[in-house]
Amino acid sequence: MSSLVGAQQKMTNTEAETLKALVKNRASKTKTIVSDFTQYKHLDFLSNDIVTQGKLHFKSPDFVKWAYVKPFQYSVIFKNKTLFINNEGSKSEVDVGSSKMFTELNNLIVKSVKGDMFDDVQFAITYFNIEEGSLVQFEPKDPKLNEFIKSFHIVFSEKGDVETIKMIEPSGDYTKIEFTNRVLNSTISNAIFNN
Amino acid sequence: MRFLIISFCFVLVSCGSYSKKYELQSEPVVTKSIENKYFDSKVTDYVYKSNITVYGNNFGGLLIVKKLAENNHRMAFTTEFGNKIFDFSFVDDDFKINFILEDLNKKMLINILQEDFSTLIKSNLPVTAAFKKDNFNVLKSESTKTDLYYYFLNSDLSKIEKVKHQKAKTIFLFSEIKNNIAQQIEIVHQSIKLHIKLNALNQ
Repeated sequence: MSSLVGAQQKMTNTEAETLKALVKNRASKTKTIVSDFTQYKHLDFLSNDIVTQGKLHFKSPDFVKWAYVKPFQYSVIFKNKTLFINNEGSKSEVDVGSSKMFTELNNLIVKSVKGDMFDDVQFAITYFNIEEGSLVQFEPKDPKLNEFIKSFHIVFSEKGDVETIKMIEPSGDYTKIEFTNRVLNSTISNAIFNN
Repeated sequence: MRFLIISFCFVLVSCGSYSKKYELQSEPVVTKSIENKYFDSKVTDYVYKSNITVYGNNFGGLLIVKKLAENNHRMAFTTEFGNKIFDFSFVDDDFKINFILEDLNKKMLINILQEDFSTLIKSNLPVTAAFKKDNFNVLKSESTKTDLYYYFLNSDLSKIEKVKHQKAKTIFLFSEIKNNIAQQIEIVHQSIKLHIKLNALNQ
């Protein structure tokens, strides 16, 4: 059914292999990423999505910083398998509510940058051609993860960059993150990843 | 028998002690029901940046409230990143869990959340007594388990005290009121180390 929705057409195996190779090649050349992001939290019962904005920093192999700047200041740094949080000036290293899910998502993002998230053991993966490029849907096979995430949808540009990530919950509510103003391979100081 | 008499005396002594202790001056009841306007609009998405401190542990997220109909509220809590922690429905006196993270699915915690948040959003409660305290008009509403004292400054609700056994058990503070939205809300528990701080998100 989904192949008929909104001009999204399932890829052939060859097309899927080509996309994987493109993303992998792109990722192997990506040492750093700086990008703005806009996050839309959609809850069916709300009139409007909750919109937040910020900046993403990535440095190979696995330093990631999500810094929200609007409408509040909040940052999360993934470094050495630890989660560092700065909540409007108050700093901590553990977030009991979100660490597990956040880690899973972050793993996926880091992997997508590295080009090795196409893991058939962990996910049931479906590939689509869409107007903006490619859409890949990842359905976690781990029932634990499945409890809160039904599916990850990632849109890749024609160059193989991640344009949007959508995390869909079993209820249908979702979080969508759009990336804009992406700069690849600029020099990023490690100090950016200090909390 | 002796025990009964002592208990009875205790009940007599403790009755009204909250209002005595806080020097509330009794007033005639002129208002029939208590209005809490802060979560009362069906067109508003109420979104609060939240900090919860529980026994020294601090965690945050977004508290999201929507009034769907009269006596019908939906309430969700997500991380800043968007992951849902819980999703509750309050319809009349019924409470339904639409979702809660397995790690937090603990009866005691859910009871506390249910009690706190139902008090936070409830409106149109019957007034059983009225008082005056300094510049505050205080209205009391009784339920089987607890009494609620609503403190109004001018016409703005600035505090709710949830009273059990004549002692304030939980205090709800509302400040920076703009267009019927409390920009800041604090829920302070007196008997457990739980403190919830909410700041309205102006998008």
